[in-house]
Amino acid sequence: MPDKNIVMIQLKNINKTFNPETPSEKQVIKDICLDVKKGDFITVIGSNGAGKSTLFNLISGNIMPSSGKILLGGEDVTKQPEYKRASRIGRIFQDPLAGTASNMTIEDNMMITFKKGFKWPLISLNRKMKNLFKEEIRQLDMELEKRMQENVSSLSGGQRQALTLLMTVLSNPDILLLDEHTAALDPRNAAIVMELTRKFIQEKHLTTLMVTHNMTHAIEFGNRLVMMDGGEIIIDIREEEKAKLTVKRLIEMFGEIRKKEFENDEVLLA
Amino acid sequence: MIEGIFVEGLIYAIMALGVFFTFRVLDFPDLTVDGSFPMGAVIMAALLHKGVSPFFALFLSFSGGVAAGCVTAAIHNKLKVPHLLAGILTMTMLYSVNIRILSNRANLPLIRVDTLLTQMHELTKAILAPEYASLIFFVIVVLLIKKALDIFFITDMGLVFGALGNNEQMVRVQGINPATLKLIGVGISNGLVALSGAFAAQYQGFADVNLGQGIVVSGLASVMLGEFMLKSNKISILTLRVVLGAILFKAIMFLGRYYGYYINMTPNDLKLIAGILIIASLAAANLKKIKSKGN
Repeated sequence: MPDKNIVMIQLKNINKTFNPETPSEKQVIKDICLDVKKGDFITVIGSNGAGKSTLFNLISGNIMPSSGKILLGGEDVTKQPEYKRASRIGRIFQDPLAGTASNMTIEDNMMITFKKGFKWPLISLNRKMKNLFKEEIRQLDMELEKRMQENVSSLSGGQRQALTLLMTVLSNPDILLLDEHTAALDPRNAAIVMELTRKFIQEKHLTTLMVTHNMTHAIEFGNRLVMMDGGEIIIDIREEEKAKLTVKRLIEMFGEIRKKEFENDEVLLA
Repeated sequence: MIEGIFVEGLIYAIMALGVFFTFRVLDFPDLTVDGSFPMGAVIMAALLHKGVSPFFALFLSFSGGVAAGCVTAAIHNKLKVPHLLAGILTMTMLYSVNIRILSNRANLPLIRVDTLLTQMHELTKAILAPEYASLIFFVIVVLLIKKALDIFFITDMGLVFGALGNNEQMVRVQGINPATLKLIGVGISNGLVALSGAFAAQYQGFADVNLGQGIVVSGLASVMLGEFMLKSNKISILTLRVVLGAILFKAIMFLGRYYGYYINMTPNDLKLIAGILIIASLAAANLKKIKSKGN
């Protein structure tokens, strides 16, 4: 088991304001502090505009914080550009097209993401690698092992997202960021990708943050749940307490803290 | 006559391969080409006149092109200038640079100068007429360059280039700086273009700073013509069709030049024809897309 005491992500008093000092100034992240321990699987929920995606963009370096510090594995990366941090972060987006290159074959895509960092003009995609990729892709149970030489553009959205997940896991990231990665899929494919997600995270003990709109998923998965609202973390529930959580109780808690109704109908229906 | 079309087509195919790299693989429409093509030609001519060995001159022409491409990519990367503008800036500056390379002249003939071609003709004159020797020579040169590119594109770095033009975010998430890749890619592309210019100067027997005018359009037309000839996702076929497209393009231009006068066409109309060819290719590709969506 991983050493639970290593802090993988540390956010210290992070603030983010878009368009500062203009009429459209908007503070989207307000003084957020968060410690993520190695092996944690945290689900992040909140209504639209709560700051969930901004939080992920800040961690991965896609945008820079207005103030505060970000540490990954103890190292201060606040000023590091996205591509440099990326060697330890595996990020999957909502758009199933975002994680793969559609004009290239499945095995080419798998080769590109297999090793992180700068690539030299060396040929690594040999027979041995091709067989390894075939073996790995069997886990998806989608018969993709017969289509290794086909372009990724011929796959369905669910297949592409499952492939992206596998490719991300194979690159051995320290941190996995899942940004509503099943939200654009139909219910059946979403369930398949969620099940694969659970399996990979358990097998590899991946430190994971998962944004979801689905409250049931947020409660069912992971060992810790974080709810955001208006750029703040308003609920943070762990381990045993989280195991006892229900959707009803979560919405009650939101009402007690915010003195308002939870705005998102779709999570109630889910 | 017919072998002349092939030879010219093959020389321009090297340039078209460079254009294919930027426009198709990197999705970086690079106009530096109009300046780096004559740059290759003038470096070659100037060095041959100085008595530098043709092979070394060829290498320096290639390097000059790489440098020109890197300037464009650096302007784009560092100053966040759109690629088209970055290319136009370099291309414009290269016009002056090229005249400097020719010691303040606009052109330089290569008569009575030993070029790679004259040396090669000297070696083969016992067995082959010079025009066929040139044809075989350029078939070998282009095949070697094509093969080198094929191999490059299956290396780890080459695969990332393939992804870059399609999905830059994926490359960044992989921990690779897209700016570095663009620098390398646009550099190699213009190196090839300059190499093509260096061969063109030797074949035509002169270098001229105006050699590159509209060359990017003919390169793009070659790439597009090739795309209509073969369909595949294999890199060896993708590069092959660029070469075939370049030869076909030269053949069409040849027909325009020699038989155009029947319909009152002059060689000055060829650029118009090249442009119309590209527009027609774009329209045909659009039509195909609409049709395939309809099904």
